[in-house]
Amino acid sequence: MAVKEEGDTSQQGKKSRSRLILRLGALLVAHSGLVSVVCCAAGIIAFILLPVLANNTYISENALMPGSADPAFSSQEVLDANRLTMDILNRGAAKASGIEIAKLLREYIVAVGAESYYHKFVPRANKFHPLHFFSSTTDNLDLPANPSCGSFILNAVGIIRAPRGDGKETIVLVTPYNSQNTTYSDAVSLGIGFSIISLLSHVTWLAKDIVWLAADSRYGEYMTVDSWLKDYHGPAFPGETSRIVDDACFEENNSDSLDHIKVEGHNSYVYKRAGTMAAALVLKVVDKKEKEERDSLSIYAEASNGQMPNLDLINIAHYLAVHRQGLRVKIGSIIYFLKASWVKLLGEMLQHITTLAKLLNPKWKLDITSADYVEGTATLASSIYYQALGVPTGSHGAFRNYQVDAVTLEFSPRSSLNNENVRSAFLLKTGRLIEGVIRSVNNLLEKFHQSFFLYFLTAPHKYVSVGIYMIPFGILIAPLPIVAAALFSSNNGSSNKDGSWKWLQAAKVVFLIHLWAMITSLLPYVLLQLPLVTPSSFTSAWAAVAICFLLITYLILWSSSIDCGWELLKSVMIVAAAIGLSLMSVINFSTAQIGAMLIVPMCLLVKPARKQTQGVFAKALMLTSNLALLVVAFPPAALLIAKTLFGASGNIDIGDFWEWAQILWSWNSATYMYLLWIHLPCWVLCLNIFLYPCIGSSSKA
Amino acid sequence: MATRDPSMICCFRLLFLLLFSVPLIASSSSWASMHHNNWAVLVCTSRYWSDSESGYPGFKFSFCNKLPRYHIEINSCNSKLEVERFNYRHMANTLSLYRTVKRLGIPDERIILMLADDMACNMRNNYPAQVFNNENHQLNLYGDNVEVDYRGYEVTVENFMRVLTGRHDPAVPRSKRLLSDEGSHILLYMTGHGGDEFLKFQDSEELQSHDLADAVKQMKEKNRFKELLIMVDTCQAATLFNQVLSSLISDDPICSLHYALLPHDCAATSVLDFGSSMSQYLAYGYAFLPAFKHILILQSPGVLAIGSSMKGENSYSHHLDSDIGVSVVDRFTYYTLAFFEKLNMYSNASLSSLFNSYNPRTLMSTAYYRMDLYQRPLPEVPVTSFFGSVMKTIHTDAAYMGLSIPPKTEAQFLPGDGGNHQLRIENEPDLEKDGNKQTKELHCIYHEWLNLLQERFENTDAELLFRYGFGTMVFLLTISTWLLA
Repeated sequence: MAVKEEGDTSQQGKKSRSRLILRLGALLVAHSGLVSVVCCAAGIIAFILLPVLANNTYISENALMPGSADPAFSSQEVLDANRLTMDILNRGAAKASGIEIAKLLREYIVAVGAESYYHKFVPRANKFHPLHFFSSTTDNLDLPANPSCGSFILNAVGIIRAPRGDGKETIVLVTPYNSQNTTYSDAVSLGIGFSIISLLSHVTWLAKDIVWLAADSRYGEYMTVDSWLKDYHGPAFPGETSRIVDDACFEENNSDSLDHIKVEGHNSYVYKRAGTMAAALVLKVVDKKEKEERDSLSIYAEASNGQMPNLDLINIAHYLAVHRQGLRVKIGSIIYFLKASWVKLLGEMLQHITTLAKLLNPKWKLDITSADYVEGTATLASSIYYQALGVPTGSHGAFRNYQVDAVTLEFSPRSSLNNENVRSAFLLKTGRLIEGVIRSVNNLLEKFHQSFFLYFLTAPHKYVSVGIYMIPFGILIAPLPIVAAALFSSNNGSSNKDGSWKWLQAAKVVFLIHLWAMITSLLPYVLLQLPLVTPSSFTSAWAAVAICFLLITYLILWSSSIDCGWELLKSVMIVAAAIGLSLMSVINFSTAQIGAMLIVPMCLLVKPARKQTQGVFAKALMLTSNLALLVVAFPPAALLIAKTLFGASGNIDIGDFWEWAQILWSWNSATYMYLLWIHLPCWVLCLNIFLYPCIGSSSKA
Repeated sequence: MATRDPSMICCFRLLFLLLFSVPLIASSSSWASMHHNNWAVLVCTSRYWSDSESGYPGFKFSFCNKLPRYHIEINSCNSKLEVERFNYRHMANTLSLYRTVKRLGIPDERIILMLADDMACNMRNNYPAQVFNNENHQLNLYGDNVEVDYRGYEVTVENFMRVLTGRHDPAVPRSKRLLSDEGSHILLYMTGHGGDEFLKFQDSEELQSHDLADAVKQMKEKNRFKELLIMVDTCQAATLFNQVLSSLISDDPICSLHYALLPHDCAATSVLDFGSSMSQYLAYGYAFLPAFKHILILQSPGVLAIGSSMKGENSYSHHLDSDIGVSVVDRFTYYTLAFFEKLNMYSNASLSSLFNSYNPRTLMSTAYYRMDLYQRPLPEVPVTSFFGSVMKTIHTDAAYMGLSIPPKTEAQFLPGDGGNHQLRIENEPDLEKDGNKQTKELHCIYHEWLNLLQERFENTDAELLFRYGFGTMVFLLTISTWLLA
């Protein structure tokens, strides 16, 4: 002891320096209850305030110069578009074979002097591959044993080479259409695509090549675009089996149309490439029956796992649409929030508060009207939701896999397109907008890099950047380590020296539960091999096997007589949850944010139901809040609640869960992994603590 | 046929002049600062169709680490205004000015044109191989007879400094050199993206105001110009001249004295109004009369500078060409050109009328000119003394007179000597007729030979000489053929 004291006195200088932070840490740990309440509240309030904190977008990349050049898209191009539209409707309707429209498009493309070829492939379903998350090579590996030969897809592709360009870069234009059931709007979108190509084939300012992919979306546009991109980026070797299957299929089943292809020459199937892709636009037309005041443009940007294209791409589309073509720009919003009265009330409150804040400091640009807030919240909710889901909102998502910035531009006319005047005006606006966007991107010297990649949109012209939205999340998960430390230290302090290694027992429990969750996440791969048919049977089988495994895990735990106090278990669980959430926030922030809103209060509040507390009221409150949180945080329950809240009516089937999970893994969504590897074990552990036979450390203490 | 053939005499004279002129160089005592030629150095420093960098200049200008004390001061003026980033207009600016000075009489061989990028052949240019500075597309600046001396990546700070100071690699052709002399008026026009005391070259380096000042000082020391007009069209252009004055005068003992006494004053006061602060010096009790005299004799450096904008101001583009999709000309250059469009090479518009034609409201910036290094009153200086060329042909008896620079000590006799020299040069054709040979005899004994020969020919019949010569030739021919046979 004497030696120790000497050491203390000699290192007093050093200690006094480190003492402050230690003291602060100790203070936080000591008041962990207050800290967690304050942090949780602040995090949630800051999250609610996000629409207020949104900034106006601006075009960050100077080289883009949207709208500085007059569009050359004229009535001549509108005539071209009309011609092709009519041709498609006449010919496509006459012969309902999938190849007819592609041939027609190729004829047109060749006529304007552009290069053209057919891209063909056999669609394959995305299968669950537990070991192939985040890798795009899954499809090539699982070749169907007996590919149905009739179902190949043929896309027409046109390439305009920049007359004085170096051919190193490309802008891609995609127009999906359904070859089996070609609608009028499909034909119009093809018409627009072609008119753009016919315009760009004779302009002098192209610095990047233009590729137009008319994607046959019979089996889903994403798959078509994705397979085209795969072929674009991956060199095709003649020895590859899949390609031989493709060819064999093609030769067999289309002998009737083969003569036509022979005339065109085999060259028409040679895959041609242009440079690396600078940006891609997916162009769609939706013909609405109801009348609107103006033509409108909807922008979809979310790709898989919450990846977004560079904000500049959205900015130029928005700028040109609003300031040049007078279109109304829409971005997806969740209708529930638009109608919910509590949001409106919140908005009004915020309006008052921000006006007050403005009185305090006129420099604060916080003023927001109630209506703005409601709309911002609805748009933000949709933005977060689609990012959190991790499923792309359109075929632009396929481009993001190759780090190409892409958006879907969905145009809808103000009234029916059958009206000649409406159609002409609509075509002119649409064509000019796309020309403008292409010309802007054409000006680029570098990849999009100036503006944000991590953002939420609260309006077409408002964004919340990563620097702002990380703050609520940070505040929200800040109490987790503090509470963990508090629980750990209180437990350690109360027990004797052997107790210092007691946490390993708790860690073992937590580890086993996580192991169980991991096995559960891999179960679908096994289940898919079983002869099950309906989704509900899949769901029940999954649940049954998972529960069996869980019981086995607990049997193991009991048999090895691992018993640690619930406080230690909670502490380790909280640490695991904090690590999981932090990791997830890097992979897909939105998922982590939504998950944190559910998990963090649950983790902080959970206490054994049988634990004695002083007041009856407090106990009841604790019990109900624990129960409520446990119910809400259970993923299937959360899904059900969300479904009923957001107005998806209809009977609720347990098969939905299977389908939902299937969507997640087939899109390689990290949300699936989050739910089963982080969220589910955390929930199980919380349930474990809630049902803890409370004779543990707390009663000892 | 007894008359003298004047053409023959002329021939002889020319021959002899050629023979004897080489030694003459060494003996020529005149390094007169008479204005007898014009040069123009036109520099466009910015590259790329449209500049893609933005408000993080610190990253771009990593080069400035070499000069740490200016690192902090560098800020991009352009971060405020995105519209000001497009570089087509810089090339159009430079080419417009090139066209103007050519039209006003500076020949191509005396224009050093530096273009950092080839906008005309940029694939984004809607009009291939053409450059316009106006939306109406009336005037193709990139038509015939555009001689670009430095292009693309040749436009570097190093090459620019080499052109100004004349320190070239021996392999650099004469067409790429600024072969000016002490009688030259030089127009130095620069445009590009600039900031506080720097001008960006390409995307990688920059010319600092120190570099420019250093170059000007070297040029002055090497007598590479008589008068120099620096015209800069960038953001914060005026800051680029900040160091020019101090560099030109700081080597002088008097000015260093001046600087020591009135440090804040030195940058602002010119050498000429030095006298006004004389009494102040006398009050300090410094005896510096000889040095003062020296300064007066040195005269002003003859540097005139005009920039499109003051510190903290942007230089704005004039208008956007909606066909090409970029802005095509800067405001300052546009109004400069508008001024010159009214002139031809014989007009007498003065520099002050040019400088007064800049309206801060239309320019959206304050055109700033400093003439503290320049002693001639601006209303008396015609613009053509910089933007045009000297019209009169000057007959000199010495080629490469510019290389004969006397030691600096002779500068004291400069004013009187210069006057004599001018007189002599202009009167030279009549010297022979008037028999006024003293000046010639003063200069060279070789002319005695000429006179001797001439006198002898005066007495001989030219016809006779011709006959003798012809006869000899025939004789020689017959002998040689006979020998060969």
